[in-house]
Order: sequence, then C-alpha cells, then structure tokens
Amino acid sequence: MGVTCVSQMPVTEGKSVQQTVEILTRKLELLGAEKQGTFGVDCETYHTAPSTMGNQGQAAKLMYVMHNSEYPLSCFALFENGPCLIADANFDVLMVKLKGFFQNAKGNKIESRGTRYQYCDFLVKIGTVTMGPSARGISVEVEYCPCVIASDCWNLLMEFMQSFMGSHTPGIPSVFSNKHDSIYSPADTMVQYMELFNKIRKQQQVPVAGIR
Amino acid sequence: MEAPPVTMMPVTGGTINMMEYLLQGSVLDQSLESLLHRLRGLCENMEPETFVDHEMVFLLKGQQASPFVLRTRRSMDKPGTPWHLRYLGQPEMGDKNRHTLVRNCVDIATSENLTEFLVEMGFRMDHEFVAKGHIFRKGIMKIVVYKIFRILVPGNTDNTEPLSLSYLVELSIVAPAGQDMVSDDMRSFAEQLKPLVHLEKIDPKRLM
Amino acid sequence: MAEGVLSAGINLEAFAQAIAAIQALRSSVTRVFDCLKDGKRNKETLEGREKGFVSSFQESLHSVSRDLGELERLSNLVGKPSENHPLHNSGLLSLDPVQDKTPLYSQLLQAYKWSNKLQYHAGLASGLLNQQSLKRSANQMGMSAKRRPKAQPTTLVLPPQYVDDVISRIDRMFPEMSIHLSRPNGTSAMLMVTLGKVLKVIVVMRSLFIDRTIVKGYHENVYTEEGKLDIWSKSNYQVFQKVTDHATTALLHYQLPQMPDVVVRSFMTWLRSYIKLFQAPCQRCGKFLQDGLPPTWRDFRTLEAFHDTCRQ
Repeated sequence: MGVTCVSQMPVTEGKSVQQTVEILTRKLELLGAEKQGTFGVDCETYHTAPSTMGNQGQAAKLMYVMHNSEYPLSCFALFENGPCLIADANFDVLMVKLKGFFQNAKGNKIESRGTRYQYCDFLVKIGTVTMGPSARGISVEVEYCPCVIASDCWNLLMEFMQSFMGSHTPGIPSVFSNKHDSIYSPADTMVQYMELFNKIRKQQQVPVAGIR
Repeated sequence: MEAPPVTMMPVTGGTINMMEYLLQGSVLDQSLESLLHRLRGLCENMEPETFVDHEMVFLLKGQQASPFVLRTRRSMDKPGTPWHLRYLGQPEMGDKNRHTLVRNCVDIATSENLTEFLVEMGFRMDHEFVAKGHIFRKGIMKIVVYKIFRILVPGNTDNTEPLSLSYLVELSIVAPAGQDMVSDDMRSFAEQLKPLVHLEKIDPKRLM
Repeated sequence: MAEGVLSAGINLEAFAQAIAAIQALRSSVTRVFDCLKDGKRNKETLEGREKGFVSSFQESLHSVSRDLGELERLSNLVGKPSENHPLHNSGLLSLDPVQDKTPLYSQLLQAYKWSNKLQYHAGLASGLLNQQSLKRSANQMGMSAKRRPKAQPTTLVLPPQYVDDVISRIDRMFPEMSIHLSRPNGTSAMLMVTLGKVLKVIVVMRSLFIDRTIVKGYHENVYTEEGKLDIWSKSNYQVFQKVTDHATTALLHYQLPQMPDVVVRSFMTWLRSYIKLFQAPCQRCGKFLQDGLPPTWRDFRTLEAFHDTCRQ
C-alpha cells in the first residue's frame, strides 16, 4: 500500500455534513478524478472486563478492532500507542469467544463510509463518519500509491491535498515521524483512522469551520 | 485499481463454528520409517512435507477458575509465512459412541507481532516447545507425525532437546459443526494404520 | 571439392559411392520382385521349371544381401555430420521449406551481415575521424599519435565474464543502487537494479549494449508466476510508466559504440538521480505536481528534475 494520510475535514459553516461532502467531491471531479466504487472503515471498541483488572491493578485498556473494505479478508486489532495486529477475518470470532475477558462497548462503534476517487496515481476516499444513526464528521483519506516511504512524499501529498482541501489541509501525521525509513504498511493507515475516530468521539457536536 | 467489494459480514452469532476432530497415538523412534512408508502409500502427498514449528502457549487468567488458552505457532524453516493463532475449546462430552475427540476450534492467521500483541492484551506465556516432523494429507484429513523438543533456555530455539524417544501421531479434521460422519472416515483410516500405530481418542482431562 | 574430407569427418568420395550402392541395391530388390512376378519360366519339365525359378530367386536374393553389405560398409566410412547445431534457434528457422512465402532465414542472414558490415565501417570511420581532431591546440596531435587506441575487438561479441566485471564495478560505485545480474535467456544479461526504496529497473542487455529497460515501483512484483524475471509487463502506476519512457529516451541519448562500458556507467549515473523522485520539486515551476505527476524528467547533462511538460 502506498503512503496514506487520513484527516478530518470540518463542515462548512451553514451547511450540513452531506452538503460539505458534495462540495468536496465536486471539487475532486473538477480536478479530473474518476469515481471508483465505495469504501468503508469501521471500528469497534473493547475494554478489559473488570474481572481481569484486579490482577494487574491497571486502568482498563482499550482495544480497537477495525475493518477496512480495501482489505476485505483482514481484521486489524490495535491498542492506543501499542502494537497493531493484522489478522484474518476469524479474529472477530475469537473476540466473541473472549466475551468474558473483553467487553464490547457497543455504543462506541464508529464507522466511515463513502466514495472512492482515483486521480492519476492518487486514491482519495471521502467518507461520512457516523456513530449510530448520527453523522458526526467527514474523513478524508489520500493515498499516493507508487511511494512506500512516508518521509519521501509528504510534500507531494500536501500539495495535492491543498488543491482540493484548500486551507483545511492537515499537518504531517504523527505516524510518519515514527516510520523513518521503514516501508509504509496498512496498519499505519488504521492507526490514523483510530486517532481520527477518537478525536471525533470526543467532540460533542459536528465541528464547523471558523471564518478564515 | 478497482474498488474491492464492500461486504463485511457482521460478527454476530451467525458465524460458522468449526470443530476439530482428533485422534492421537505415538510410535517409537525405531518404527518411524515404516510408519512414514505406509503413510506415503496411503496419502495424497507426492513427497512428504517436513516442518519445523515453534509453538508458544499463552494463558489469560481471570476471575473464572480456568484460564483462557491461546496457542501460537510460527514456522522456523519457512520464513515469511504468517503466524498461526489457535483457540481450542473444551472437548464435547458427547456419547461414548463417538470415535474421535471433538472440540471447538478457531484458526487465525496473523502478522508477526503476535506475541507482543497478546502480552498487551494481558496474556502471559505459559510454556513453549519446538515441533519437528512430517505432514501428510488425504482429502480433508491431516496426519502429522512429529517430535516435541523442549526448549532449555526460554527464547532460544536453537538449544533444544527431545522430550521423549517417540514421535506423536495426530490425525485430525477441521470441519463445520454437525458433520459427525467425518469421525467414521477417520476411524476407518486409523484401522489401516494398525498395528504400526494405534490412534485413539485421548481425553486430556483424564491425563491431568 | 577435390579432397574427400569436408568437415568433421564427412568423406565425400565414400558418400558418392554410397549413393551408387543405394541405386544398385534398389535394382537388385526390383529384380527379386520381378522374378517373383514372372514366376516359373516356360520349360519342358515341371522340375526344371521349379529348379529354374528357385535358382533365379536365390541369385537375386544373394545380390540383394551383397549390395546391402556394401552399402553398410560405405555408410560407416561416410561418417556423421556434426551433431551440434551451431546456429541454435535461428538454424531451426532455416529448416522451413516454404522459402518464397516466409523468407525469414535469408532475411535474417542479410540483416545480420548488414549490421556487422555497418559496425565495421563505423569503426573504421570513427578511427579516421578521431585522427582529424577538431580541437585547435597543437599538443593534441602529438598525444594522440601515442595514445591512439588499439583496434577494438568487435564489441558485439564480448566474453560474458567481461560483462560481469563491468557490471559488478558499477554496482560498487553507488551505495544506494544495487545491481543483480542473471542470464535466464541465453547469453544476454538481464540486470535488476534496485534504487533505494524508490524503484526497481529491469535492464535487458545485448553483450554490453543496453537494449531495453522497464521501470517499476519498489513494491511491485517483478517476477512472473513461475519465478522468472518478468521483462515485459508495464508498471501499474503512471509515474513509473513515464519514467520508463524517459529511460528509453536516455538509452538513445547515451550512445558511444566504441566504449560501451562508459555508456552503461553514464546511464546508471543518470538513473541514480531518481532516488529523489518523490522529494525533488521541478526546477522550472517550483511545484511538486503537474497533472498528478511529480517531476519525472532528469536533464541528461545536469541531472536536474523537471516536469515532463516543463522541460525545454
């Protein structure tokens, strides 16, 4: 997988989430991007059950189990600031068996779904982030497929994002600074999604772009 | 770069439960060659496949009496292959007529940072060993003949010594729940291996 | 063809004698069948007829066996033609009998002779032209008389060991570039050049001349399903397809028939500038992207990065 940057797009003032998504996609289509199907990324939260906590005396750890439609046969399990495991789809079955030790916080399930666009060697995914029935924000994922070293192509990615996100272009993601020269992997994208979902969960309402 | 299909099956009770049907036996080192010879004739392999695996068993202790057991296996002779995570449930206490040991089984292929992840989840390693042997296939049946090596220094897989002077023979099938006729197939195959090796249903609880 | 022996033991005289022996054998066999066909000749007594028939039949069979023996003796003298096919695959083309519809082999020979002659003439011309130096300084004449290069051997037929040495020397020149040489298809070398973690280049060579290159991404698969080097499929990414086109242009630019190792060295030096393919902005417009592509053109002299549409 190529180097990917996941960020949040604030909703334009006075418009709804849906309308902002439409403005973005229209800008992309003007650039020359082609629509290529849909995508979906979802995240479930598990926390260690109180029964196991007593032994270790630590705070409950949060484990996130995520799926990405780009890799339909895989499952990603990660801890915040911890390792990210890439497993096959049976991992979900294992989590059902571990019900006694890890409880699923069903209210915390969050997902992002939307359309996929391709422009030259870039892959752009614009998704609406929903938690339950309500739309909470917009996620933008930009992937530059030919490059696998994160530090090499950040400037290139930023220039591309500026062409359709304008002033809402994000800064360099924190995973990039940890990568140094190692090859970018899909797990890094999932870590970025987890950070984005956590940020959106903390925000009580849909964020609105301030006047610039 | 086409879009992959966006069908993600929800994880509810609708997943298929896989069961492992197992028969075990053992042969002394001297009889290994004749057993391999017979298996080569009975099974589909063109050439027998050998393997060297390193298995680690992890436990998660909770308030419940019995800890949760997970087994991880990695290949030592084929680098680059995924790690294998396995959960085995309690053997089903069915009727005595059932010829094989039946238990729930979940097999997962994972990336290489599995041990780190399990430790983060709260699991602790209970024991580890190296298994070296041969694997044969016949249809969906898998026959494994291997020797267990004890690891003397934890973490050092080069320094091992054999646990016993014999090889463990396992005949197993992983199939969806409810297909009990496979145990009849296993029993007839086990008959063909007598008197070289007696494969039978061994209840792990009785050994402890 | 006065002498009998031609090449690797073909005895021409024995050959001619053997052909005559075959004709003698054919006639004696025909006589046997004629004798059988005619049957018993018209004679007075039955025995006489039978005896006559049997004796004439026996005589013709004897002559057959005699001729056969003679033929076998001669065939041993003739000897076998050389087993090795020195022409390999192209020799098999020559076996095609339909010459007027598909004159491939004769055209192949003509093309080969023409290119050899062309190279020979070019070598002579370059030798003569080098003597007529375009530089004005007087010192040059004295130096060139001593340092005139010796007549180069035909650079099209170089020993593979020499090619290996040149490539391994170039491999050691640049730390971020590694070259792996293999010869899966006959004597022409195939190089797999890995440049940092940016790209991989497959270079197909003909002795020390570069024939063709394909540029692919670092994480793309360069092997076919059977595990052999895949020299035909293009990259999946537009940027690397563009770089492949530029590399082919570079092959046409860097040309020096008398010193092919200099050519390979300059090509590799040019290729090495792609280590910053994704990091360098265009020297002309200052931006990173143009139509979604980074600056893929590298100037042949200065190695500066330009967009394909920005170069002069």
